[in-house]
Amino acid sequence: MQGVPIEVRGLTKRFGKVSAVRGLEFTAQPGRVTGFLGPNGAGKTTTLRMLLNLVSPTSGTATIGGSNYRDLAFPSRNVGAVLEATSFHPSRRARSHLSMIAIAAGIDRDRVQEVLDLVGLSADAKRKVGGYSLGMRQRLELAGAMLGDPGVLILDEPANGLDPQGIAWLRAFLRHLASEGRTVLVSSHLLAEMAQTVDDVVIVSEGELRAEGPLSSLAAQVRPSMRVRTPEPARLVSVAKDARLVPTEVAPGIVVVDGAVPEQLGPLLASNQIVVYEMVSEHRGLEELFLELTTSLGGRS
Amino acid sequence: MIRVLRSELFKFRTTPGPWVVLAVTLVLSALGIVAAFVNPGFGVSFGAPHSIGRLRELVGAGYGAVGIVGPLIGILCVTGEYRHKVITTSLLVTPRRGVLLFAKALASGIWGIVLCVASFVLVAVMGVPLLVSEGGSVDALVRQIPPVAPGLIGAFALLAVFGVGVGALVKNQIAAVVLAIGLSLVLEPVLVELVYHFFHIELNWLPNQDAAALAGGLTRGGQNGPSVVPNELLSWWAGGLALVAWGVGTALLGYFTTFRRDVT
Repeated sequence: MQGVPIEVRGLTKRFGKVSAVRGLEFTAQPGRVTGFLGPNGAGKTTTLRMLLNLVSPTSGTATIGGSNYRDLAFPSRNVGAVLEATSFHPSRRARSHLSMIAIAAGIDRDRVQEVLDLVGLSADAKRKVGGYSLGMRQRLELAGAMLGDPGVLILDEPANGLDPQGIAWLRAFLRHLASEGRTVLVSSHLLAEMAQTVDDVVIVSEGELRAEGPLSSLAAQVRPSMRVRTPEPARLVSVAKDARLVPTEVAPGIVVVDGAVPEQLGPLLASNQIVVYEMVSEHRGLEELFLELTTSLGGRS
Repeated sequence: MIRVLRSELFKFRTTPGPWVVLAVTLVLSALGIVAAFVNPGFGVSFGAPHSIGRLRELVGAGYGAVGIVGPLIGILCVTGEYRHKVITTSLLVTPRRGVLLFAKALASGIWGIVLCVASFVLVAVMGVPLLVSEGGSVDALVRQIPPVAPGLIGAFALLAVFGVGVGALVKNQIAAVVLAIGLSLVLEPVLVELVYHFFHIELNWLPNQDAAALAGGLTRGGQNGPSVVPNELLSWWAGGLALVAWGVGTALLGYFTTFRRDVT
Protein backbone atom coordinates (compact mmCIF):
# COMPACT_ATOMS: atom_id res chain seq x y z
CA MET A 1 0.00 0.00 0.00
CA GLN A 2 1.58 3.25 -1.17
CA GLY A 3 1.16 6.32 1.00
CA VAL A 4 0.21 9.85 0.06
CA PRO A 5 1.41 13.12 1.58
CA ILE A 6 -0.27 14.67 4.60
CA GLU A 7 -0.40 18.43 4.12
CA VAL A 8 -1.31 21.02 6.72
CA ARG A 9 -1.63 24.60 5.52
CA GLY A 10 -2.40 27.65 7.66
CA LEU A 11 -4.27 25.48 10.13
CA THR A 12 -5.82 27.39 13.01
CA LYS A 13 -8.17 26.29 15.76
CA ARG A 14 -9.63 28.49 18.45
CA PHE A 15 -11.70 27.19 21.36
CA GLY A 16 -13.39 30.38 22.49
CA LYS A 17 -10.60 32.76 23.38
CA VAL A 18 -7.96 30.03 23.46
CA SER A 19 -5.91 29.45 20.31
CA ALA A 20 -4.98 25.78 20.35
CA VAL A 21 -3.35 25.81 16.91
CA ARG A 22 -2.07 28.89 15.08
CA GLY A 23 -1.32 28.96 11.37
CA LEU A 24 0.36 25.57 11.41
CA GLU A 25 2.07 24.37 8.22
CA PHE A 26 3.89 21.13 7.58
CA THR A 27 4.04 18.13 5.26
CA ALA A 28 4.52 14.45 6.07
CA GLN A 29 5.89 12.50 3.14
CA PRO A 30 5.26 8.88 2.07
CA GLY A 31 7.95 6.39 2.91
CA ARG A 32 9.07 8.32 5.98
CA VAL A 33 8.21 8.37 9.66
CA THR A 34 7.44 11.94 10.64
CA GLY A 35 7.60 12.74 14.34
CA PHE A 36 5.05 15.34 15.41
CA LEU A 37 6.69 16.56 18.56
CA GLY A 38 5.86 19.04 21.25
CA PRO A 39 5.17 19.37 24.95
CA ASN A 40 1.76 18.64 26.43
CA GLY A 41 -0.75 21.27 25.36
CA ALA A 42 1.19 22.18 22.21
CA GLY A 43 -1.81 21.47 19.96
CA LYS A 44 -0.69 18.08 18.60
CA THR A 45 -3.87 16.17 19.38
CA THR A 46 -6.09 18.99 18.14
CA THR A 47 -4.12 19.07 14.87
CA LEU A 48 -4.42 15.32 14.35
CA ARG A 49 -8.14 15.46 15.12
CA MET A 50 -8.57 18.24 12.56
CA LEU A 51 -6.80 16.00 10.03
CA LEU A 52 -9.33 13.29 10.80
CA ASN A 53 -12.43 15.51 10.67
CA LEU A 54 -13.18 15.05 14.37
CA VAL A 55 -12.49 18.72 15.07
CA SER A 56 -13.34 21.42 12.54
CA PRO A 57 -10.62 24.01 11.85
CA THR A 58 -11.29 27.67 12.47
CA SER A 59 -9.29 28.30 9.28
CA GLY A 60 -6.76 26.58 7.06
CA THR A 61 -6.70 23.10 5.59
CA ALA A 62 -5.51 19.66 6.61
CA THR A 63 -5.53 17.16 3.76
CA ILE A 64 -4.49 13.61 3.06
CA GLY A 65 -3.45 13.08 -0.54
CA GLY A 66 -5.07 16.40 -1.35
CA SER A 67 -8.48 15.44 0.05
CA ASN A 68 -10.25 16.20 3.27
CA TYR A 69 -10.69 13.10 5.40
CA ARG A 70 -14.48 13.21 5.16
CA ASP A 71 -14.28 13.25 1.35
CA LEU A 72 -12.28 10.02 1.13
CA ALA A 73 -14.35 7.25 -0.45
CA PHE A 74 -13.17 4.62 2.04
CA PRO A 75 -11.51 6.48 4.93
CA SER A 76 -10.52 3.38 6.92
CA ARG A 77 -8.93 1.76 3.89
CA ASN A 78 -6.81 4.85 3.19
CA VAL A 79 -6.01 6.14 6.67
CA GLY A 80 -5.46 4.27 9.90
CA ALA A 81 -5.61 6.27 13.11
CA VAL A 82 -4.59 5.56 16.68
CA LEU A 83 -5.93 8.38 18.82
CA GLU A 84 -6.61 7.25 22.35
CA ALA A 85 -6.56 3.97 24.18
CA THR A 86 -9.95 4.53 25.76
CA SER A 87 -12.37 4.50 22.84
CA PHE A 88 -13.75 1.03 23.49
CA HIS A 89 -16.95 -0.23 25.02
CA PRO A 90 -15.63 -2.07 28.09
CA SER A 91 -18.15 -4.90 27.70
CA ARG A 92 -17.34 -5.54 24.07
CA ARG A 93 -14.83 -8.24 23.19
CA ALA A 94 -11.73 -7.25 21.23
CA ARG A 95 -12.71 -9.35 18.23
CA SER A 96 -16.18 -7.79 18.21
CA HIS A 97 -14.67 -4.29 18.39
CA LEU A 98 -12.60 -4.99 15.29
CA SER A 99 -15.51 -6.72 13.54
CA MET A 100 -17.66 -3.66 14.17
CA ILE A 101 -15.08 -1.52 12.33
CA ALA A 102 -14.62 -4.07 9.55
CA ILE A 103 -18.36 -4.26 8.85
CA ALA A 104 -18.78 -0.47 8.68
CA ALA A 105 -15.67 -0.05 6.52
CA GLY A 106 -16.53 -2.89 4.15
CA ILE A 107 -13.39 -4.81 5.07
CA ASP A 108 -13.26 -8.60 4.85
CA ARG A 109 -13.88 -10.08 8.32
CA ASP A 110 -10.92 -12.48 7.79
CA ARG A 111 -8.71 -9.43 8.16
CA VAL A 112 -9.72 -9.21 11.85
CA GLN A 113 -7.73 -12.32 12.71
CA GLU A 114 -4.78 -11.08 10.66
CA VAL A 115 -4.48 -7.81 12.58
CA LEU A 116 -5.01 -9.59 15.90
CA ASP A 117 -2.02 -11.77 15.00
CA LEU A 118 -0.11 -8.69 13.85
CA VAL A 119 -0.38 -6.94 17.22
CA GLY A 120 -0.11 -10.12 19.29
CA LEU A 121 -3.63 -10.11 20.74
CA SER A 122 -5.00 -13.34 19.26
CA ALA A 123 -4.94 -15.17 22.58
CA ASP A 124 -6.96 -12.40 24.24
CA ALA A 125 -9.35 -11.69 21.38
CA LYS A 126 -12.36 -13.16 23.17
CA ARG A 127 -11.78 -11.18 26.35
CA LYS A 128 -13.81 -8.08 27.11
CA VAL A 129 -11.78 -4.92 26.53
CA GLY A 130 -12.66 -3.64 30.01
CA GLY A 131 -10.18 -6.17 31.39
CA TYR A 132 -7.35 -5.10 29.09
CA SER A 133 -4.23 -3.32 30.30
CA LEU A 134 -3.36 0.07 28.80
CA GLY A 135 -0.70 -1.56 26.65
CA MET A 136 -3.18 -4.12 25.31
CA ARG A 137 -5.64 -1.35 24.50
CA GLN A 138 -2.93 0.49 22.58
CA ARG A 139 -2.28 -2.66 20.59
CA LEU A 140 -6.00 -3.05 19.93
CA GLU A 141 -6.16 0.56 18.71
CA LEU A 142 -3.26 -0.20 16.41
CA ALA A 143 -5.02 -3.33 15.18
CA GLY A 144 -8.09 -1.22 14.35
CA ALA A 145 -5.92 1.25 12.47
CA MET A 146 -4.31 -1.54 10.41
CA LEU A 147 -7.60 -3.26 9.51
CA GLY A 148 -7.92 -1.51 6.17
CA ASP A 149 -4.21 -1.95 5.31
CA PRO A 150 -4.02 1.85 4.88
CA GLY A 151 -1.30 3.82 3.12
CA VAL A 152 -1.38 6.53 5.77
CA LEU A 153 -0.96 5.99 9.51
CA ILE A 154 -1.70 8.75 12.02
CA LEU A 155 -0.79 7.90 15.60
CA ASP A 156 -1.24 10.08 18.67
CA GLU A 157 1.17 9.13 21.46
CA PRO A 158 1.05 5.41 20.57
CA ALA A 159 3.79 4.50 23.02
CA ASN A 160 1.71 5.52 26.03
CA GLY A 161 1.22 2.51 28.26
CA LEU A 162 3.61 0.26 26.36
CA ASP A 163 6.38 -1.48 28.27
CA PRO A 164 9.98 -1.22 26.98
CA GLN A 165 9.51 -4.38 24.94
CA GLY A 166 6.33 -2.95 23.45
CA ILE A 167 8.03 0.34 22.62
CA ALA A 168 10.84 -1.51 20.85
CA TRP A 169 8.24 -3.49 18.92
CA LEU A 170 6.38 -0.28 18.00
CA ARG A 171 9.58 1.36 16.74
CA ALA A 172 10.35 -1.56 14.48
CA PHE A 173 6.74 -1.72 13.35
CA LEU A 174 6.61 1.95 12.36
CA ARG A 175 9.93 1.70 10.55
CA HIS A 176 8.64 -1.34 8.68
CA LEU A 177 5.45 0.49 7.65
CA ALA A 178 7.45 3.44 6.30
CA SER A 179 9.81 1.09 4.45
CA GLU A 180 6.74 -0.22 2.58
CA GLY A 181 6.10 3.30 1.29
CA ARG A 182 3.41 4.29 3.76
CA THR A 183 3.11 7.73 5.30
CA VAL A 184 3.54 7.59 9.07
CA LEU A 185 2.79 10.61 11.23
CA VAL A 186 3.36 9.93 14.91
CA SER A 187 3.02 12.40 17.76
CA SER A 188 4.86 12.29 21.04
CA HIS A 189 5.95 14.47 23.90
CA LEU A 190 8.70 12.00 24.77
CA LEU A 191 11.30 12.97 22.25
CA ALA A 192 13.99 10.56 23.33
CA GLU A 193 11.82 7.58 22.40
CA MET A 194 11.21 9.07 18.94
CA ALA A 195 14.85 9.73 18.10
CA GLN A 196 15.42 6.16 16.99
CA THR A 197 12.23 6.00 14.96
CA VAL A 198 11.63 9.16 12.98
CA ASP A 199 13.12 10.40 9.73
CA ASP A 200 11.59 13.85 9.87
CA VAL A 201 10.40 16.00 12.71
CA VAL A 202 7.73 18.65 13.05
CA ILE A 203 8.16 20.47 16.34
CA VAL A 204 5.29 22.54 17.71
CA SER A 205 4.80 24.56 20.84
CA GLU A 206 1.85 26.66 21.92
CA GLY A 207 0.08 25.76 18.69
CA GLU A 208 2.81 27.13 16.44
CA LEU A 209 5.42 25.49 14.25
CA ARG A 210 8.90 25.74 15.78
CA ALA A 211 10.87 23.58 13.39
CA GLU A 212 10.38 21.19 10.51
CA GLY A 213 12.74 19.02 8.53
CA PRO A 214 14.87 15.89 8.57
CA LEU A 215 16.02 15.03 12.06
CA SER A 216 19.68 15.13 10.97
CA SER A 217 19.54 18.63 9.50
CA LEU A 218 17.56 19.93 12.43
CA ALA A 219 20.22 18.83 14.88
CA ALA A 220 22.75 20.83 12.90
CA GLN A 221 20.70 23.99 13.50
CA VAL A 222 21.42 23.92 17.17
CA ARG A 223 24.31 26.16 18.17
CA PRO A 224 27.34 24.04 19.02
CA SER A 225 29.10 24.49 22.33
CA MET A 226 32.34 23.46 24.06
CA ARG A 227 33.00 22.66 27.70
CA VAL A 228 36.49 23.70 28.84
CA ARG A 229 38.27 22.96 32.15
CA THR A 230 40.94 25.55 32.75
CA PRO A 231 42.86 27.20 35.63
CA GLU A 232 42.30 30.56 33.86
CA PRO A 233 38.54 30.87 33.49
CA ALA A 234 38.48 34.67 33.63
CA ARG A 235 40.97 34.99 30.76
CA LEU A 236 39.14 32.37 28.75
CA VAL A 237 35.83 34.22 29.17
CA SER A 238 37.47 37.46 28.07
CA VAL A 239 39.10 35.92 25.00
CA ALA A 240 35.93 34.12 23.99
CA LYS A 241 33.87 37.28 24.26
CA ASP A 242 36.38 39.10 22.08
CA ALA A 243 35.82 36.35 19.51
CA ARG A 244 32.04 36.97 19.70
CA LEU A 245 31.37 33.68 21.42
CA VAL A 246 29.12 33.27 24.48
CA PRO A 247 31.14 31.92 27.41
CA THR A 248 29.63 31.06 30.80
CA GLU A 249 31.55 29.87 33.83
CA VAL A 250 29.19 27.15 34.97
CA ALA A 251 31.39 25.92 37.83
CA PRO A 252 34.75 26.93 39.30
CA GLY A 253 37.28 26.36 36.53
CA ILE A 254 34.70 25.13 34.01
CA VAL A 255 33.52 27.34 31.17
CA VAL A 256 30.88 26.45 28.59
CA VAL A 257 31.40 28.36 25.35
CA ASP A 258 28.23 28.53 23.27
CA GLY A 259 28.68 28.88 19.54
CA ALA A 260 32.14 27.33 19.60
CA VAL A 261 33.44 24.35 17.62
CA PRO A 262 36.78 22.60 18.37
CA GLU A 263 38.39 23.79 15.11
CA GLN A 264 37.74 27.40 16.18
CA LEU A 265 38.16 27.33 19.94
CA GLY A 266 41.32 25.18 20.00
CA PRO A 267 43.51 27.54 17.95
CA LEU A 268 41.97 30.55 19.72
CA LEU A 269 43.00 29.30 23.16
CA ALA A 270 46.40 28.19 21.87
CA SER A 271 47.16 31.54 20.30
CA ASN A 272 46.26 33.23 23.60
CA GLN A 273 48.36 30.70 25.54
CA ILE A 274 45.50 29.72 27.85
CA VAL A 275 46.14 26.52 29.78
CA VAL A 276 43.51 23.88 29.10
CA TYR A 277 43.12 20.70 31.14
CA GLU A 278 40.16 19.37 29.22
CA MET A 279 38.05 20.47 26.24
CA VAL A 280 35.01 18.55 24.93
CA SER A 281 32.15 19.21 22.54
CA GLU A 282 28.86 19.39 24.36
CA HIS A 283 26.68 16.57 23.10
CA ARG A 284 23.13 17.75 22.68
CA GLY A 285 20.47 15.11 22.46
CA LEU A 286 17.07 15.42 20.87
CA GLU A 287 15.56 16.22 24.24
CA GLU A 288 17.76 19.31 24.64
CA LEU A 289 17.07 20.32 21.08
CA PHE A 290 13.39 20.03 21.80
CA LEU A 291 13.65 22.11 24.97
CA GLU A 292 15.62 24.76 23.17
CA LEU A 293 13.12 24.96 20.34
CA THR A 294 10.03 24.97 22.49
CA THR A 295 11.25 27.36 25.17
CA SER A 296 14.05 29.64 23.99
CA LEU A 297 12.73 30.13 20.47
CA GLY A 298 9.18 30.18 21.68
CA GLY A 299 9.89 33.01 24.03
CA ARG A 300 6.54 32.67 25.81
CA SER A 301 5.81 30.92 29.02
CA MET B 1 -25.20 3.14 4.20
CA ILE B 2 -26.01 -0.56 4.40
CA ARG B 3 -22.54 -1.24 5.83
CA VAL B 4 -22.97 1.40 8.51
CA LEU B 5 -26.45 0.09 9.37
CA ARG B 6 -25.10 -3.46 9.68
CA SER B 7 -22.33 -2.21 11.94
CA GLU B 8 -24.83 -0.37 14.15
CA LEU B 9 -26.94 -3.52 14.48
CA PHE B 10 -23.76 -5.46 15.28
CA LYS B 11 -23.00 -2.93 18.04
CA PHE B 12 -26.44 -3.66 19.55
CA ARG B 13 -25.67 -7.36 19.62
CA THR B 14 -22.26 -7.01 21.21
CA THR B 15 -23.02 -4.83 24.26
CA PRO B 16 -25.22 -5.70 27.24
CA GLY B 17 -27.40 -2.55 27.21
CA PRO B 18 -29.82 -3.58 24.44
CA TRP B 19 -30.17 -7.07 25.95
CA VAL B 20 -31.03 -5.50 29.32
CA VAL B 21 -33.67 -3.40 27.53
CA LEU B 22 -34.99 -6.62 25.95
CA ALA B 23 -35.18 -8.22 29.40
CA VAL B 24 -37.07 -5.19 30.75
CA THR B 25 -39.45 -5.45 27.79
CA LEU B 26 -40.13 -9.10 28.56
CA VAL B 27 -40.70 -8.43 32.29
CA LEU B 28 -43.12 -5.59 31.57
CA SER B 29 -44.83 -7.68 28.88
CA ALA B 30 -45.24 -10.56 31.36
CA LEU B 31 -46.90 -8.15 33.76
CA GLY B 32 -49.12 -7.01 30.88
CA ILE B 33 -50.10 -10.60 30.16
CA VAL B 34 -51.04 -11.22 33.78
CA ALA B 35 -52.96 -7.93 33.86
CA ALA B 36 -55.05 -9.03 30.88
CA PHE B 37 -56.35 -11.94 32.98
CA VAL B 38 -57.28 -9.77 35.95
CA ASN B 39 -60.91 -8.70 35.90
CA PRO B 40 -61.26 -5.45 37.79
CA GLY B 41 -64.24 -4.38 39.81
CA PHE B 42 -65.64 -5.51 43.13
CA GLY B 43 -63.78 -8.59 44.17
CA VAL B 44 -60.97 -8.69 41.64
CA SER B 45 -60.94 -12.04 39.88
CA PHE B 46 -58.56 -13.92 37.65
CA GLY B 47 -59.91 -15.35 34.45
CA ALA B 48 -59.59 -15.58 30.70
CA PRO B 49 -60.29 -12.37 28.78
CA HIS B 50 -63.34 -12.55 26.50
CA SER B 51 -64.13 -9.03 25.39
CA ILE B 52 -62.41 -7.63 22.31
CA GLY B 53 -60.74 -4.96 24.39
CA ARG B 54 -59.29 -7.42 26.90
CA LEU B 55 -58.15 -9.76 24.15
CA ARG B 56 -56.38 -6.85 22.47
CA GLU B 57 -54.70 -6.04 25.76
CA LEU B 58 -53.38 -9.56 25.84
CA VAL B 59 -52.08 -9.40 22.25
CA GLY B 60 -50.50 -6.04 22.97
CA ALA B 61 -49.14 -6.92 26.39
CA GLY B 62 -45.91 -5.11 25.46
CA TYR B 63 -47.73 -1.79 25.24
CA GLY B 64 -46.91 -1.04 28.86
CA ALA B 65 -43.22 -1.19 28.00
CA VAL B 66 -43.17 0.88 24.83
CA GLY B 67 -43.09 4.30 26.47
CA ILE B 68 -39.96 3.38 28.40
CA VAL B 69 -37.97 0.90 26.33
CA GLY B 70 -38.68 2.52 22.96
CA PRO B 71 -36.87 5.79 23.69
CA LEU B 72 -34.35 3.98 25.89
CA ILE B 73 -32.97 1.88 23.06
CA GLY B 74 -32.39 4.94 20.86
CA ILE B 75 -30.82 6.88 23.71
CA LEU B 76 -28.40 4.05 24.50
CA CYS B 77 -27.47 3.81 20.83
CA VAL B 78 -26.21 7.40 20.75
CA THR B 79 -25.17 8.28 24.29
CA GLY B 80 -23.39 4.97 24.88
CA GLU B 81 -20.94 5.97 22.15
CA TYR B 82 -20.15 9.27 23.83
CA ARG B 83 -19.96 7.69 27.27
CA HIS B 84 -17.37 5.12 26.20
CA LYS B 85 -15.77 7.34 23.52
CA VAL B 86 -16.61 4.80 20.82
CA ILE B 87 -17.92 7.80 18.90
CA THR B 88 -14.29 8.52 17.92
CA THR B 89 -13.98 5.12 16.26
CA SER B 90 -17.41 5.43 14.65
CA LEU B 91 -16.62 8.83 13.15
CA LEU B 92 -13.24 7.65 11.87
CA VAL B 93 -14.99 4.89 9.94
CA THR B 94 -18.00 7.02 8.99
CA PRO B 95 -16.88 10.65 8.95
CA ARG B 96 -20.18 11.88 7.50
CA ARG B 97 -22.11 12.43 10.69
CA GLY B 98 -25.52 12.66 9.06
CA VAL B 99 -25.03 9.17 7.62
CA LEU B 100 -23.99 7.82 11.02
CA LEU B 101 -26.98 9.39 12.80
CA PHE B 102 -29.38 8.13 10.13
CA ALA B 103 -27.95 4.61 10.47
CA LYS B 104 -28.39 4.81 14.24
CA ALA B 105 -32.03 5.85 13.78
CA LEU B 106 -32.67 2.95 11.42
CA ALA B 107 -30.87 0.44 13.65
CA SER B 108 -32.76 1.64 16.73
CA GLY B 109 -36.04 1.38 14.87
CA ILE B 110 -35.20 -2.17 13.85
CA TRP B 111 -34.21 -3.07 17.43
CA GLY B 112 -37.51 -1.50 18.56
CA ILE B 113 -39.30 -3.91 16.22
CA VAL B 114 -37.27 -6.78 17.70
CA LEU B 115 -38.44 -5.76 21.19
CA CYS B 116 -42.05 -5.68 20.04
CA VAL B 117 -41.76 -9.06 18.34
CA ALA B 118 -40.21 -10.44 21.54
CA SER B 119 -43.28 -9.29 23.46
CA PHE B 120 -45.50 -11.09 20.93
CA VAL B 121 -43.41 -14.25 21.34
CA LEU B 122 -43.89 -14.01 25.10
CA VAL B 123 -47.64 -13.73 24.57
CA ALA B 124 -47.46 -16.88 22.45
CA VAL B 125 -45.43 -18.91 24.94
CA MET B 126 -46.93 -17.57 28.19
CA GLY B 127 -50.24 -15.86 27.41
CA VAL B 128 -51.73 -18.46 25.07
CA PRO B 129 -51.22 -21.47 27.41
CA LEU B 130 -52.64 -19.38 30.24
CA LEU B 131 -55.62 -18.46 28.06
CA VAL B 132 -56.26 -22.10 27.18
CA SER B 133 -55.95 -23.22 30.78
CA GLU B 134 -58.49 -20.58 31.83
CA GLY B 135 -60.93 -21.70 29.16
CA GLY B 136 -60.43 -18.78 26.77
CA SER B 137 -60.58 -18.86 22.97
CA VAL B 138 -57.34 -18.86 21.00
CA ASP B 139 -59.26 -18.15 17.78
CA ALA B 140 -60.76 -15.04 19.32
CA LEU B 141 -57.28 -13.95 20.37
CA VAL B 142 -55.79 -14.55 16.92
CA ARG B 143 -58.56 -12.42 15.37
CA GLN B 144 -57.30 -9.45 17.40
CA ILE B 145 -53.73 -9.65 16.11
CA PRO B 146 -54.26 -7.64 12.90
CA PRO B 147 -55.83 -4.61 14.65
CA VAL B 148 -53.08 -4.51 17.29
CA ALA B 149 -49.77 -5.77 15.92
CA PRO B 150 -48.94 -3.26 13.12
CA GLY B 151 -49.65 -0.20 15.25
CA LEU B 152 -47.73 -1.54 18.23
CA ILE B 153 -44.74 -2.45 16.06
CA GLY B 154 -44.81 1.05 14.60
CA ALA B 155 -44.98 2.59 18.07
CA PHE B 156 -41.94 0.62 19.28
CA ALA B 157 -39.93 1.52 16.16
CA LEU B 158 -40.80 5.20 16.06
CA LEU B 159 -40.29 5.78 19.79
CA ALA B 160 -36.85 4.22 19.37
CA VAL B 161 -36.13 6.72 16.59
CA PHE B 162 -37.37 9.48 18.90
CA GLY B 163 -34.88 8.16 21.47
CA VAL B 164 -32.05 8.61 18.95
CA GLY B 165 -33.13 12.23 18.58
CA VAL B 166 -33.14 12.72 22.35
CA GLY B 167 -29.72 11.08 22.59
CA ALA B 168 -28.34 13.32 19.85
CA LEU B 169 -29.65 16.35 21.71
CA VAL B 170 -28.55 15.30 25.21
CA LYS B 171 -25.27 13.40 24.94
CA ASN B 172 -25.03 12.71 28.66
CA GLN B 173 -26.49 9.22 29.04
CA ILE B 174 -27.90 9.57 32.55
CA ALA B 175 -29.46 12.95 31.79
CA ALA B 176 -30.99 11.64 28.56
CA VAL B 177 -32.42 8.51 30.22
CA VAL B 178 -33.86 10.50 33.13
CA LEU B 179 -35.32 13.02 30.70
CA ALA B 180 -36.94 10.35 28.52
CA ILE B 181 -38.37 8.26 31.34
CA GLY B 182 -39.44 11.35 33.25
CA LEU B 183 -41.12 12.66 30.11
CA SER B 184 -42.86 9.36 29.51
CA LEU B 185 -43.95 8.46 33.04
CA VAL B 186 -44.40 11.82 34.73
CA LEU B 187 -44.18 14.97 32.69
CA GLU B 188 -46.32 14.02 29.71
CA PRO B 189 -49.29 12.56 31.64
CA VAL B 190 -49.26 15.47 34.10
CA LEU B 191 -48.97 18.00 31.30
CA VAL B 192 -51.82 16.40 29.37
CA GLU B 193 -54.07 16.44 32.43
CA LEU B 194 -53.17 19.97 33.51
CA VAL B 195 -53.60 21.50 30.07
CA TYR B 196 -56.92 19.74 29.60
CA HIS B 197 -58.09 20.73 33.09
CA PHE B 198 -57.29 24.42 32.73
CA PHE B 199 -57.61 25.04 28.99
CA HIS B 200 -59.72 22.12 27.73
CA ILE B 201 -57.09 21.45 25.10
CA GLU B 202 -56.07 17.87 24.26
CA LEU B 203 -52.27 17.61 24.08
CA ASN B 204 -52.66 14.51 21.98
CA TRP B 205 -49.62 15.18 19.82
CA LEU B 206 -46.99 14.47 22.48
CA PRO B 207 -44.82 11.36 21.86
CA ASN B 208 -46.59 8.87 24.11
CA GLN B 209 -50.00 10.14 23.03
CA ASP B 210 -48.87 9.64 19.44
CA ALA B 211 -47.71 6.12 20.27
CA ALA B 212 -51.11 5.47 21.84
CA ALA B 213 -52.82 6.77 18.71
CA LEU B 214 -50.62 4.62 16.49
CA ALA B 215 -51.48 1.57 18.57
CA GLY B 216 -55.10 2.66 18.31
CA GLY B 217 -56.53 -0.80 17.81
CA LEU B 218 -55.26 -1.56 21.29
CA THR B 219 -55.67 1.70 23.13
CA ARG B 220 -59.19 2.49 21.95
CA GLY B 221 -60.24 -0.85 23.27
CA GLY B 222 -62.38 -2.25 20.48
CA GLN B 223 -66.18 -2.48 20.65
CA ASN B 224 -66.86 -3.15 24.28
CA GLY B 225 -63.57 -3.24 26.11
CA PRO B 226 -61.95 -0.67 28.30
CA SER B 227 -59.74 1.95 26.73
CA VAL B 228 -56.17 2.00 27.94
CA VAL B 229 -55.83 5.72 27.29
CA PRO B 230 -58.84 7.84 28.13
CA ASN B 231 -57.82 10.93 26.17
CA GLU B 232 -59.07 11.80 22.76
CA LEU B 233 -56.31 10.50 20.54
CA LEU B 234 -55.28 11.41 17.03
CA SER B 235 -56.13 8.97 14.28
CA TRP B 236 -53.55 6.17 13.97
CA TRP B 237 -51.96 7.64 10.86
CA ALA B 238 -51.86 11.15 12.29
CA GLY B 239 -50.31 9.79 15.47
CA GLY B 240 -47.75 7.91 13.39
CA LEU B 241 -46.89 11.01 11.39
CA ALA B 242 -46.60 13.09 14.56
CA LEU B 243 -44.26 10.49 16.05
CA VAL B 244 -42.16 10.54 12.87
CA ALA B 245 -42.04 14.32 13.21
CA TRP B 246 -40.87 14.02 16.83
CA GLY B 247 -38.13 11.61 15.79
CA VAL B 248 -36.99 13.58 12.76
CA GLY B 249 -37.33 16.91 14.57
CA THR B 250 -35.28 15.95 17.62
CA ALA B 251 -32.70 14.15 15.45
CA LEU B 252 -32.27 17.22 13.22
CA LEU B 253 -32.09 19.52 16.23
CA GLY B 254 -29.56 17.20 17.86
CA TYR B 255 -27.57 16.93 14.64
CA PHE B 256 -27.27 20.69 14.15
CA THR B 257 -26.73 21.61 17.80
CA THR B 258 -24.79 18.73 19.34
CA PHE B 259 -23.91 15.84 17.07
CA ARG B 260 -21.85 17.97 14.67
CA ARG B 261 -19.73 19.41 17.45
CA ASP B 262 -16.02 18.75 17.77
CA VAL B 263 -15.07 15.41 19.28
CA THR B 264 -12.08 16.33 21.40
